[in-house]
Amino acid sequence: MGETDMENSKIFLKHFQKQLPFQVFVWLGIVFLIIFSYIPMFGIIIAFKNYKIVTGIEGIFTSTWAGLTHFKQLINDYNFPNLVRNTLVLSLLKIIFSYPVPILFAILLSEVRHTFVKRFVQTVSYLPHFVSWVVVTGISFAFFSSNFGVVNDMLLSLNIIDKPMQILTDPDSFWGLAVTTAIWKEAGWWTIIFLAALAGIDPALYEAAEIDGAGRLKRILYITLPGLKSAAIVVLILNIGGMLGGGLVGSNFEQSMLLGNTMNSETSQIIQTYAFNVGLAQGRFSFATAIDLMQSIISVILIFTSNAIAKRVSGTGLF
Amino acid sequence: MRRRKTVEDWIIDSIVYIVLTIVVIAAAYPFYYILLITFNAGTDSLTGGMYLWPREFTLSNYAYFIEDTKWIKSFGVSIVRTIVGTFLGVVFTAMVAYGLSKKDLIFKRIYFVIVVVAMNFSGGLIAYYIVLRSLGFINTFGVYVIPGMLNLFFLLIAISFFSDIPEELGESARIDGASELKIFVKILLPVSMPLLATMCLFIGSGQWNAWLDSAYFVQNESLRTLTYRMMQVINQTMTPSSEAQIAAASRSSVTPFSIQATAMVVSIIPILGVYPFLQKYFVSGMMLGSVKG
Repeated sequence: MGETDMENSKIFLKHFQKQLPFQVFVWLGIVFLIIFSYIPMFGIIIAFKNYKIVTGIEGIFTSTWAGLTHFKQLINDYNFPNLVRNTLVLSLLKIIFSYPVPILFAILLSEVRHTFVKRFVQTVSYLPHFVSWVVVTGISFAFFSSNFGVVNDMLLSLNIIDKPMQILTDPDSFWGLAVTTAIWKEAGWWTIIFLAALAGIDPALYEAAEIDGAGRLKRILYITLPGLKSAAIVVLILNIGGMLGGGLVGSNFEQSMLLGNTMNSETSQIIQTYAFNVGLAQGRFSFATAIDLMQSIISVILIFTSNAIAKRVSGTGLF
Repeated sequence: MRRRKTVEDWIIDSIVYIVLTIVVIAAAYPFYYILLITFNAGTDSLTGGMYLWPREFTLSNYAYFIEDTKWIKSFGVSIVRTIVGTFLGVVFTAMVAYGLSKKDLIFKRIYFVIVVVAMNFSGGLIAYYIVLRSLGFINTFGVYVIPGMLNLFFLLIAISFFSDIPEELGESARIDGASELKIFVKILLPVSMPLLATMCLFIGSGQWNAWLDSAYFVQNESLRTLTYRMMQVINQTMTPSSEAQIAAASRSSVTPFSIQATAMVVSIIPILGVYPFLQKYFVSGMMLGSVKG
């Protein structure tokens, strides 16, 4: 027995030595992940501690325990109900309003016969995806500002409104602004997935339907739509998984940071931005981490709840 | 078989073309409008009513942008971080992927678990900041290019890409005694152009568009990026009426708003420049991602 073990480990060593360069490549990546992913993950425990930034990484382990103090503080924080509401409402509104857009857009594109027109429309509609949220904010500013924005300017000169709308600062308009800009930026991009699904539909189906006398609308309803079903489910799953981040159409965090301001913070401040501000501006790192953790907990609850609902309604869950 | 257009065809075609026209205008006009602002006297733009072409044509916004060392410097920082960050990100991600794509790699399973866990869980921004700070990354150029060097999304895509390349490809070089690193650089990377182009586009545009790290992880003014400066102007002009005051004080037609628009155009141009060429790659890259993801 002992001898074969020795043999085995010798073979193993030789084999290992042979692929050593590959192992080294992987190790470099693993070391990287430990530093930039795993240490921050363990860093979550400072939510239960009295952490001080001067103690560095070491302090994560050596600082004294605080129990649930920070969580109690968070729940009693007068901002807390607002933060949870804003995060949930913004995320839900985005899914509801942005989810159908790429699907409808893909159907429209599939009805275009001229390849050039199709490509042109696609190219133009992808473009906003590649610019930063800062640029999108600048554009929102140029369009919705109350003193020189195009939209106010036009509506005023057409006498539709008699005083400029405070779109950028009014708390009541932040959610609409966020959802609209998110759709503007990302909806064109996400049609790629649906167009690929459409490309997979057998053209013979359309020909057969046409011969059988099905009109355009019937072909859309009975061939194109069913052809999009599986892609639509995949995208819905991805959307729900990343819901609190803003789903696929983009970042709640960046929008809240850039389009949010002191005037509309009542509706624009979300859990993540609050944590960020409290942590970095006020230096309350343990408290901020507790907020981050709270968001993860809500997120997990949401995923499991929606999964349970999906199972009950359609018979198949997401996992 | 070409049949005559029915009433239904007419209706559907009209709806399709009307909606698509609206979509194209909605997507493109905002960019055009910003461009318009940059070629018009800043003080004049504030009076409104300009929609299609410049009213008081001027190049003073661009002249101001080029002469202002703050803007030009931050433009330079953005360029350098994009080039260095994209290079490091693409090469490092591809290298780790190459290691993980080896067929009979020992401990492969453990490595994958480590990657997948890191992909799905994070410690949040605060804990991440603590680590960056403790390692001395805060206030350095390194914070732009090093912490994001391993892109996990593209790691998985690259692994599946490399796994499809036959291992015999590097065999003759291996027999000649070339090192694995050399084989990776000289043989594997050249045949992976579609993958590398896709990665360059996405990692590059991510680098170019990043603003959070410049705003919160760096205080040194000479390290600020273009996107950060744009953000700063947006925050300043948030308070109404300051626009005209600043312009009046500086005795020029340039306003913070018109200079911000100029910066936006400058920041969009590089994207416009590369994106039509890479479009065929990113569509396939996106497909790869959506199928695997």
